[in-house]
Amino acid sequence: MARPVGIIGTGQTKHGKRMDVCYPELVREAVMTVFAETGIDPGDIDGVVSGTMPSMMEGIALTHFYFADAMQASGKQILKTETCGSTGVSIAHTAYYWVASGMADLVLAVGHEKMNEGDSQATMTTVAEPFYQRFFIAGAPGVFSMQSQMWTDRYGIPEDKLRDAAAYISVTHHNSAFDNPYAHIKIRVTMDDVKNARIITYPVRLLDVCPNSDGACAVIFASDKMIRKLGKKAAWVKGVGYSGEEYYFGDSDKAVWQAAIQAAKQAYKQAGIRNPRKELDVAEVYNPFTYQEMLFYECFGFCDFGQAPDLVLKGTFGRKGELPCDPSGGTLCTNPIGATGLIRTAEAALQVMGKAGDHQVPGAKLALAHAMGGVDQFNGIIILGSEK
Amino acid sequence: MANKVAIVGVAQNAGCESKDNYYDQAYQVTRELLDKTGLKKDDIGTFISASSDIFHGGISCANAYYWETTGAFLKNGSRQDGESLFALFYGAMRIMSGHYDTALVIALCKGSENPSNESCTLMYADPFYQRGVGLNETLAAALQMKLYMKKSRITAEQCAKVAVKNLGNALGNPYAHRRGRYSVEDVLKSELVADPLTELQVAPKSEGIVAMLLASEEKAKKITKKPVWIKGFGSSLDSYILGDRDLLNGQLRNAANRAYKMARITDPGKQIDLAEISEPYAFQELLWMEDLGLCSPGGGGKMIDSGKTEKNGALPINPSGGVLANNPYVSRGLQRAVEAVLQMRGEAGERQVEKRVKTALAHGTHGFAGQCHAVAVLGR
Repeated sequence: MARPVGIIGTGQTKHGKRMDVCYPELVREAVMTVFAETGIDPGDIDGVVSGTMPSMMEGIALTHFYFADAMQASGKQILKTETCGSTGVSIAHTAYYWVASGMADLVLAVGHEKMNEGDSQATMTTVAEPFYQRFFIAGAPGVFSMQSQMWTDRYGIPEDKLRDAAAYISVTHHNSAFDNPYAHIKIRVTMDDVKNARIITYPVRLLDVCPNSDGACAVIFASDKMIRKLGKKAAWVKGVGYSGEEYYFGDSDKAVWQAAIQAAKQAYKQAGIRNPRKELDVAEVYNPFTYQEMLFYECFGFCDFGQAPDLVLKGTFGRKGELPCDPSGGTLCTNPIGATGLIRTAEAALQVMGKAGDHQVPGAKLALAHAMGGVDQFNGIIILGSEK
Repeated sequence: MANKVAIVGVAQNAGCESKDNYYDQAYQVTRELLDKTGLKKDDIGTFISASSDIFHGGISCANAYYWETTGAFLKNGSRQDGESLFALFYGAMRIMSGHYDTALVIALCKGSENPSNESCTLMYADPFYQRGVGLNETLAAALQMKLYMKKSRITAEQCAKVAVKNLGNALGNPYAHRRGRYSVEDVLKSELVADPLTELQVAPKSEGIVAMLLASEEKAKKITKKPVWIKGFGSSLDSYILGDRDLLNGQLRNAANRAYKMARITDPGKQIDLAEISEPYAFQELLWMEDLGLCSPGGGGKMIDSGKTEKNGALPINPSGGVLANNPYVSRGLQRAVEAVLQMRGEAGERQVEKRVKTALAHGTHGFAGQCHAVAVLGR
């Protein structure tokens, strides 16, 4: 099977509204951080994987050109990976396969987004095709609200319980963000604050939804041989999964969401995971919306379908629960989209390397990172472990 | 190279404007590839596509659009942005990693639904300094051409000869978008686009869905009797600001050397039998030939004068007509590889070269004056 591949270091910017830096400077901040942290010289990198969201959101097309210097990629081999919201995990996958193929020993993966200089919701509306669907799709919340309602209806989840569970997730993640030095939104909120927040698109309220963040993330993937040579600790890639489905939103079931189920299945199979809730120590689930996070728990086999709200309210997925999810505060508190999936990967790596600081899950050995994208269409997963 | 990867099937569509919609075209080309290789959708291990949101008819997240119509439904896949040879490399890597034994690689661009290439590539320019003055790929190429003519003593006639050759070669290519018998004078007298580039020296805006099936060594033998092996590949990215770069000493040498090292090519001018080079601007075929080591530095002009690069010359370059004849922007790199495969398999029809092709090169480029290059060496 494939050669072992590990992550040896991560670099994140301080995410938020970063009007103090221009876009290339933001990218450079993450890249130089990972070089400083690992002691790797940019000259030693064999290849660079770059990725982001669509050009309309960036204000510039084919961003690997613009960021060539910020990524220290001049004269380097390059791949440019883009798969919408799942881009971050797809970048990690590309770096993984590159090293696993034997074609490189050190690959730098870079994801970035400066959302405060673009219009993310206008851009996301243009993902939908222009003739039938675009007029109905009011950015991301419209699509994910419909998905939430499909799921709620399917399992007959009472509205009170649903709102309580969503509010619980929002409160705990916002609290966790205080322990993450890179997180964007740091506010204390109560259950009532969440439940009474302004409606965005029913049932999603303001505190159920992620912010627009500026941020970048850089991660170095290395071969087994290189990791031994460097004598470094690594977060080993145990499994990768990706799946995509129909373009037309109404064509597929979004409650029992096959793209999410299949992506998890592929990754679990490679990692030899049978009971994810028991075997995983921590999960960084891509959660731009509280309701959707619960749906992911079910699709990833963390619990049965329709059961997530009960378990959430029991604290099963809380910081001290059986399977802590998003101890970083997750996407709900920080969402520079093109970087977000790679941030999930970096956070999972930090957890299994024991370097997550104040939001460390004690003794975490096996972690899942996830990202989602398209017209509610794509899911990507990477599983990292402390042991090869 | 540990795991060998073969190209076991190819398919493409024509470059001229089609009345079929993009979705149907993507399906048709995928269907053709599967039928040719005798495989079903479910036999395919992984899918890597190449497309670019700026060249995608106003739809963002291009991969969302064609995911299931290219057979990727519920499959593990990914997408490369901008240059389709990247998708070939990534597909090969996925097989080399041992995770998959087949990969469908597909590049998609429907130029007829896009604004001009100049409008699209203007968006490569940073919004503060370069975009305001209208810098785009064609203007950057014009600057590069002037420099090339001055420093390497290349004449306008030698540049025009590339267009004469390639548009003539395209007469034998049913997929070509633009073709014809032109004289050097016709080329030089065609409308001035950006001095010194004239219209016939600038690639058109074409449609192109180009697909390829890759397979591991073991699997390849079961699918075809005529596998074409990926012997080597490499890429290189240059700095961003045009004025910071030496436009005559770019990154193509670097990309080529990586591919040559992997393919154990030490004397490309002798070991490469045929090359399909991305030349969106006629003079670039000469400059890129030099950088690829297919002729001596500064020898591009003499090379075209010698006739060696003609279809039945000693080293045919772009017998398909190249990018000047067909320019589905994102798909053009993979199209070069497809044309090289057809030549090696002896399936190039009217454009088949006389000489036996054992080793061929495919090249892709995008960005101002070749900011990024990708090179693949293919062998029988």
